[in-house]
Amino acid sequence: MSNHDEELTPTPGQRAINLFRRTDVQRALLFTILWTAVFVILGLYFYPKWMPEVMSRDMKAMERIIVGFTVISAPIAGLVMGIATQAITNRHKGDTPPPDGPAIRTNGPVVMVWTVVSGIFCLIAVVWGIAELNSMALEATAGSKEALHVQVIGSQWVWSFKYTDLGVESDKLMLPINRPVEFEVTSEDVNHSFWPLQLGVKVDANRLQTTVADTVPTKLGPIDVKCAELCGLYHAYMETSGKVMTTTDFNNWVTSNGGHVA
Amino acid sequence: MTTLHNTSTHARPIPNPKKSLITKLNMGTGIIVGVIFAFAAYYAFQPNADTAGFYNQQNKALLAAMLFWSVGFLIGIGAFIGPFRWLIGKDLTAEEQLYLAGDGQGIKRYFKYCTDHKVVGIQYLVGVMAMLAVGGGMAMMIRTSLAVPGGHFIGASVYNSLVGMHGITMIVAMIIVATGPFGNYIMPIMIGARDMAFPRLNALSWWVLFTAIPVLCSAWFLGGIPTGWTAYAPLSVQAGPGMNAFVATILIFAVSTAVAGMNITSTVVAMRAKGMKWNRVPIFVVGATMSVALAIPAFPTFMLAMVQTATDRVFNTGFYDANVGGSGWLYAHLFWIMGHPEVYVILLPGIAILMEIAPVFVRKPLFSYNAAIMGFAGIAGLSVLVWAHHMYISGWTPTLNGPFMVTTEMISVPTGLLFLVMLGTIWRGKPWMKLPMLGLFAVIWNLLIGGITGIYLSDVPADNYLHGSMFVTAHFHYTLMGAALTGAVAGLAYWFPKMTGRMLNEPAGYTAFWFTQIGFQVLFLGMFIAGAEGQPRRVVSFAAMYKYSNMISTGGAYLVGIGFIILLWAVIHSWRKGDIAPQNPWGAKTLEWTVPYPVPLENFDEAPIITSDPYGYGKGN
Repeated sequence: MSNHDEELTPTPGQRAINLFRRTDVQRALLFTILWTAVFVILGLYFYPKWMPEVMSRDMKAMERIIVGFTVISAPIAGLVMGIATQAITNRHKGDTPPPDGPAIRTNGPVVMVWTVVSGIFCLIAVVWGIAELNSMALEATAGSKEALHVQVIGSQWVWSFKYTDLGVESDKLMLPINRPVEFEVTSEDVNHSFWPLQLGVKVDANRLQTTVADTVPTKLGPIDVKCAELCGLYHAYMETSGKVMTTTDFNNWVTSNGGHVA
Repeated sequence: MTTLHNTSTHARPIPNPKKSLITKLNMGTGIIVGVIFAFAAYYAFQPNADTAGFYNQQNKALLAAMLFWSVGFLIGIGAFIGPFRWLIGKDLTAEEQLYLAGDGQGIKRYFKYCTDHKVVGIQYLVGVMAMLAVGGGMAMMIRTSLAVPGGHFIGASVYNSLVGMHGITMIVAMIIVATGPFGNYIMPIMIGARDMAFPRLNALSWWVLFTAIPVLCSAWFLGGIPTGWTAYAPLSVQAGPGMNAFVATILIFAVSTAVAGMNITSTVVAMRAKGMKWNRVPIFVVGATMSVALAIPAFPTFMLAMVQTATDRVFNTGFYDANVGGSGWLYAHLFWIMGHPEVYVILLPGIAILMEIAPVFVRKPLFSYNAAIMGFAGIAGLSVLVWAHHMYISGWTPTLNGPFMVTTEMISVPTGLLFLVMLGTIWRGKPWMKLPMLGLFAVIWNLLIGGITGIYLSDVPADNYLHGSMFVTAHFHYTLMGAALTGAVAGLAYWFPKMTGRMLNEPAGYTAFWFTQIGFQVLFLGMFIAGAEGQPRRVVSFAAMYKYSNMISTGGAYLVGIGFIILLWAVIHSWRKGDIAPQNPWGAKTLEWTVPYPVPLENFDEAPIITSDPYGYGKGN
């Protein structure tokens, strides 16, 4: 299929040129580019299409990470699939084994470059993740003074919300826009997991423990609240709804439910 | 220690130690004694006037019955005759040992306490296929129920039980899917050994596992397992009597894996053929050994978690009960300290099988044996440091989320090495597209998708959204089913001629391959979408917004189901009536292909002497 004389070529430059002249290398490169494009499109177009509406700081960070990771890993995934696809196009048919290939037992530089590159990608993922975690923690600390405290209580199989500062209790999650909110989550029985979908946060509800999740709703609209931890017979039905509202609407909702606006 | 001799094993009289008790015992006597023990325990532990009224009396009696069944069965099949004789100072006679090895007993030896590793391998193979069939059937029921929104087919109680039973059946089956059949049948021959290091423990590992199967099935008649396979406390403490079956299954299974792990590890360490240095050991043997060696420290924590679940349920000990100072997080830790290494216990042998297959079918040496070892070792080492990534959102010490994210993402580097080895091996080769080789290409794709989605999940902010959703379910099916199970099926296609003496039916095999792999992509693509859209996992009913993604998934599931039925037919039909296989149909260089079928009792007439690794393919080798 290709000539392998390049191994005898003396200079590294010439060897590189010869390498790219080989049809198997060209074909593998072409497939790599095509597969990379597939993964990039998947990341940029399809993922955001499938996710629910981005309605908070955390949801935005989550979407950024998933799309970003997909796009960054696309060349590596593309290379893996490129080499595999090239091998398939070069397949051997018949009932007897194929002729012997070249006896390549290893290739030091290739193993080294592969390891270093995958290490760098791992490092990018780690640094990115830690940076996002850190900025979320900083924002949560900065916003904690003005935060709206919502006590979230899970019990088999309903959610209830207590706005302790405002004297209101509800089975719907109502939140004002652009105000930090701190969910203090607990359970009356088994483990549940509080998941307001569009807000991109989730934290387990444990009996006699209070766990905390915080976010800032940034967009008006309805919220779906679900339970993400199998909690017994009617786990699937442990869901409710909610709404991110303007501050005025929220205040009106509070007062009309017998609470007081702080 | 070496046990190799240049003595011929042929022309030996068939042993018939008529007066010995071991000739009278078999699976039937095991079942009879086991059932007697179970009933005796059940009635012995019934509530009496003093203790009546406590809610946990039923749990006590049921758990005792299940555990006594296991012990009774093992006594009834003769598992303890050897140790007992040894205790009183008389070991089994040579004739009795040959009898135990099943010499000359035909099909009967598969129903006895047989120490021949090849018999144990076949027992595991049949057992695993049965478990996968049952687990797969439950998966089909789950997907049928999820075909349309609203959950009209199956009630919530049955659905939750199906999820739990499917989960634990498949996990148990997948843990043994490669190391059970191939680790027992093929691996000793591959390293040039006459048998395993501890043949009686080998038989024990299978028959202990066997006793767990009826225990697990009994859950159906006791109200099911409503907790998922994770069996989180306090839900598991609250659960009904079926939960006892889960607890007892894990306790029994943990003993089986400990025995098997110790035996396989000892065999590879001590019984390799002369000249088989560590860098000449076939890569499947390395992967399988790392897998079982990883299970040895991992499973005891699961066992401990189950002991505490049992005592919480029976004696109100409150290990996991927050009301009396316990914590559900304790359970989660014990569970996942086993749970994450366990994922690699499942995955490593599957990948190692493909690395064994690739050089044979491209006629090239394995690319960078050292990178493969580093990949396996790196994964095994890191896998014990990542468990709390399953607990990012549990609320347990959020400050440790960062460190666990780092260790988890580091696993991508050794995993990358495994890809490099597979790709390097096929590069510049002409792959011979037989069934085993198709598996390699399928796994490259499936593991890639499983791996990339795993990186999202390892990231804390992304996991905040994706945790507990269908996305997670799709991710781990890509790694466990798409990679590990496909690898094991490739192994079955590869070693089928050696294990059965016949070739696997190719047209049926190809058809099964395309049905399962295409169906698999459709099934879990739909599930990825459902998860990204925000559908929680383990729900009997879902909102109309997830209608299309679930419909796609269910369609894919039916294709997978059809594919596996065809595969099952192909295996059964080929085993009975397939073409007679030549001794070495693939032209491979590992030792198992140097022995005839049926493989002699002690495998080799002449002890093999190893002078190179088994990958000397290619021009210039």
